[in-house]
Amino acid sequence: MRAFDYARPSTLVEAFELLSAPDGGVKALAGGTDLLVGLRNGAIRPRAVVDLKHIRELAPVIRADKECMSIGANAVLAQLTASEGLRRDYPALVESAAVVGSVQIRHRATLAGNLCNASPAADTVPALLAYGADVVIRGPSGERRVSVDNFVLGPRETVLTAGEIVTTIVLPTPKPGTGAAFARLTRRRGVDLAILSVCCLVDPEGEVRFGLGAVGPRPFLVRDSAAAVVSSTAAEQFAALVAKASPITDVRASHDYRQAMITVLARRTLAAAIERSSWVSP
Amino acid sequence: MNAGSVGTGVPRVGGRERVNGSQQFLADIRLEDMLHVKLVTLDVACARIDSIDTSIAVHLPGVACIVTPADLPQPMPRFGPVYRDRPFLADGATTYHGEPVCAVVAESRDMAEAAAEAVLVGYTEVPGVFTIDAALAQDAPLVQSPSLRPDDPLARSNVLRERRYEWGAIDETDTTVVDHVYSFPMVTHFAIEPHGAIAHADDDGLTIWSPVQHPYLLQRTISDLFEQPLARVRVLAPDPGGAFGGKQNPKFEPLLTWIALKTGRPCRLILTLEETFQAVRRTSCSIHVRSGFRANGELVFHDVESDFLVGAYADIAERVVAKANYLACGPYRTPNARIVARAIFSNTTPSCAFRGFGTPQVAWAIESQMDAASRLLQLDGLEIRRANLARFGEDVVPGDVPADGEWQQSLDRAAEMIGWGRPPLEGRGRGIAVAIKAGATTGLSQATVRLLFDGSVIVYAGTSDMGQGARTIFAQIAADEFGVTVNDVSVVSGDTAIVPFDLQTSASRSTVFMGNAILAACEDVHRQLRSLAAEITGLEAADVEIKGGQVHVKGEQHSIATVLERGLGRLRGELVGNGTVRRADDPDHPLGGAPAFYEFNCTAFEVSVDGETGEVLIHRHVTVGDVGRALNPLQVTMQDEGAAIMGLGHSLMEQLLLDDRGRIRNLGALDYRIPTTKDMPLELESEVIENGDGPGPRGSKGVSEGAILCTAPALAAAVADATGVVIRDLPLTPERVWSALKAGVAR
Repeated sequence: MRAFDYARPSTLVEAFELLSAPDGGVKALAGGTDLLVGLRNGAIRPRAVVDLKHIRELAPVIRADKECMSIGANAVLAQLTASEGLRRDYPALVESAAVVGSVQIRHRATLAGNLCNASPAADTVPALLAYGADVVIRGPSGERRVSVDNFVLGPRETVLTAGEIVTTIVLPTPKPGTGAAFARLTRRRGVDLAILSVCCLVDPEGEVRFGLGAVGPRPFLVRDSAAAVVSSTAAEQFAALVAKASPITDVRASHDYRQAMITVLARRTLAAAIERSSWVSP
Repeated sequence: MNAGSVGTGVPRVGGRERVNGSQQFLADIRLEDMLHVKLVTLDVACARIDSIDTSIAVHLPGVACIVTPADLPQPMPRFGPVYRDRPFLADGATTYHGEPVCAVVAESRDMAEAAAEAVLVGYTEVPGVFTIDAALAQDAPLVQSPSLRPDDPLARSNVLRERRYEWGAIDETDTTVVDHVYSFPMVTHFAIEPHGAIAHADDDGLTIWSPVQHPYLLQRTISDLFEQPLARVRVLAPDPGGAFGGKQNPKFEPLLTWIALKTGRPCRLILTLEETFQAVRRTSCSIHVRSGFRANGELVFHDVESDFLVGAYADIAERVVAKANYLACGPYRTPNARIVARAIFSNTTPSCAFRGFGTPQVAWAIESQMDAASRLLQLDGLEIRRANLARFGEDVVPGDVPADGEWQQSLDRAAEMIGWGRPPLEGRGRGIAVAIKAGATTGLSQATVRLLFDGSVIVYAGTSDMGQGARTIFAQIAADEFGVTVNDVSVVSGDTAIVPFDLQTSASRSTVFMGNAILAACEDVHRQLRSLAAEITGLEAADVEIKGGQVHVKGEQHSIATVLERGLGRLRGELVGNGTVRRADDPDHPLGGAPAFYEFNCTAFEVSVDGETGEVLIHRHVTVGDVGRALNPLQVTMQDEGAAIMGLGHSLMEQLLLDDRGRIRNLGALDYRIPTTKDMPLELESEVIENGDGPGPRGSKGVSEGAILCTAPALAAAVADATGVVIRDLPLTPERVWSALKAGVAR
């Protein structure tokens, strides 16, 4: 591993300054479960690493507010899977968090890190999309808030600019009677990267949202004329999903397999989401 | 019976240390003043090396030296267990992805890595061959220069060697013929411990630390290459952290020794997992079989064309091809056969031994043929195997060692365990398969046993304990012979300066070969004990008997410790015995010797398949081995389960994927998949058949490879039973099964 400078700021202001270094060779470290892999294999060669874990304002908390649930940037995935509030109101997010890496990794990896790493195959992002999550960003020029859909631009690319940090991920409280489910396909049942992943959310009025991962340069959301999808299980009804996908062929799977599996997982997650929702077919 | 004696499942010697992290693996060894080596490689398979510019790298901090081919003796020295074709460093050109071009030597690993990146290698990519078809094509580029085998008529092709085994005559009259081609992927051993070694040269000679399976072969290789007497080459072999055949033969030890001689300091190389992937692999193959059967299922002939794609250097791969294909027809009465097996060079990672030694590949083809025939003849997988399985004493290869076990007992037991004959639940399918692997054909194991004054025992045995539990078995054998517990026995291995010669740790041989050598050494000590007892009692040695670890003198029974105390007296001392087991070459045998035993296994599965995604779920996986005698039932189960699970790897998910320029695309743990605990069958059960009919101590046979031999065909048969779709290419990934299902539906 190449040598690099290491800094452990205790305030956001210090972190902004460290991360704003003009040479750009600075990487933020939270759980490090993606960063360390990159450092080891040489894909990432920063001049400096800024450890965010000791920043006072970034306490690793999951907090229920009136209209939303706030997940702090340092909250690890094992906290998500253990959170009663999340398990009750956001089961599909918990399902997706529960398949990231291994038990050890989930005790280090953060939700914010999974998002900021901007992998097309990030397991939790389809669920964040389906739940309509927002990202709270702070930086030298203040705070801004963007939707997850607008946050990830492409592979390894987000809207974050130099000096900016994600501080919170905010999930709006789903309407009572909402159902959601997550599913992914892998080459084996143990620790693996997704061939594709799908999260489906059905609200009590029958509006359907799909978040899809690993079938395009970034996870994306399809908000269909929902009732049409719900009213039928025929494969053609999933054409909107397939049309928006542009899966590649890589060592994990071929384009054709990914393409075909979109419909399979969409149908399965839809059925599970309906089952969990209060929506009743008219 | 004493606690821990043969037949009981004593916990593994050294097992605790492996689990709690206190075991010293090679990478844990720190020597004073040690230098670290990093190999420079190119992200290309085949390239002519035009220049190596070290001018920047050599001035980086901590760099001691950089060794390029120009620094080495000319012509470049080469070595290998059979063919001396492997150079210390790439000789003018790289011939596979990751072949080292030069070596950076520095004060720390990080410094060596940083400098390795600063070495500028000028190269020109040249065409290579990465598949069987490409290697056999007219005008295919030659992987090796013909000058490496000047007297070989095949030197101007990529065929390393062709073997032909033939008996009876192939006649298709009145037979139902099945004719298919089967493929088996390249896989890597994935031992948890990556490869590595340390070399040091000083006034005492050369010392090499290497977690190698064959320390005495390494000693000989270094002795030959550096023209040193064997007595001045010491190999210290820490327990390998997994080997599976990948750590049999020297790889980088000669280069390290050369660097150690040049620098006068200990030199250490630890490969990364990715580099280990590029150092060893299992032989992939394509096997075309045409088989004939009578209407009642009786096997008439197999006509086998077996093409094995070996790597850029021969290593032991040709032996893999020769030995596995010799028994290609499996554990059956095969009245007629023609087997043509070729080892074909390619510009890929050198392939070598891998648990099963080629048998999983041939069993994949032959066992799948049995199932293909059974479907055509409307028999089931059990019936067709029962109809053809060789009974004890019947020939498998006519004229060679006949069936040495009651194999049908394993078949019947596995069938019973999987519930064969009872209708499976809706959507489930079952498959069953059998296989044999030839045990070692030649061998030499020597052991020394010291019976100390207090009755405790030290056993010197050169077997590498790589997880199979060799030391445990040896301690149990010696404990029984001297009437003590395993805690009173210590086993010393892993040091060629102290421990007598052992040819190899391979082919599931150690229980039989070294076990018998230890028994012989114990018998040598018993002889001395009898003399001692005779001396004390004034009787003849013939009046004394050693039985059950006790000394029997004319109806009286004494403990060994008592006899030692009285016989050796005030000055104490000890008794030292030696034992040798030699199985010499047989120049008239096609393999250079007949198998010492056969390792037989029957495996069966019950599965269901997700018809939409192609995912296979294993509800039940059973394996039964014909082990002769389980000297340590716990270890036998562990070895059997380990082999079974390893077999699931190449059956379901493992494969090295190359791009069209021969580069490995899934290098490393992220995209090369091996089974995890979550991929285990819902139920996995291992049993043994014990008839005491093996050549080892108490009638034992080798057991460490059985359950990997026919995992794939049994699993594929179960998938076919569940889905109606037959797949002839491994592994059965979800995508491959899905594709087959889709094609099947379309047809």
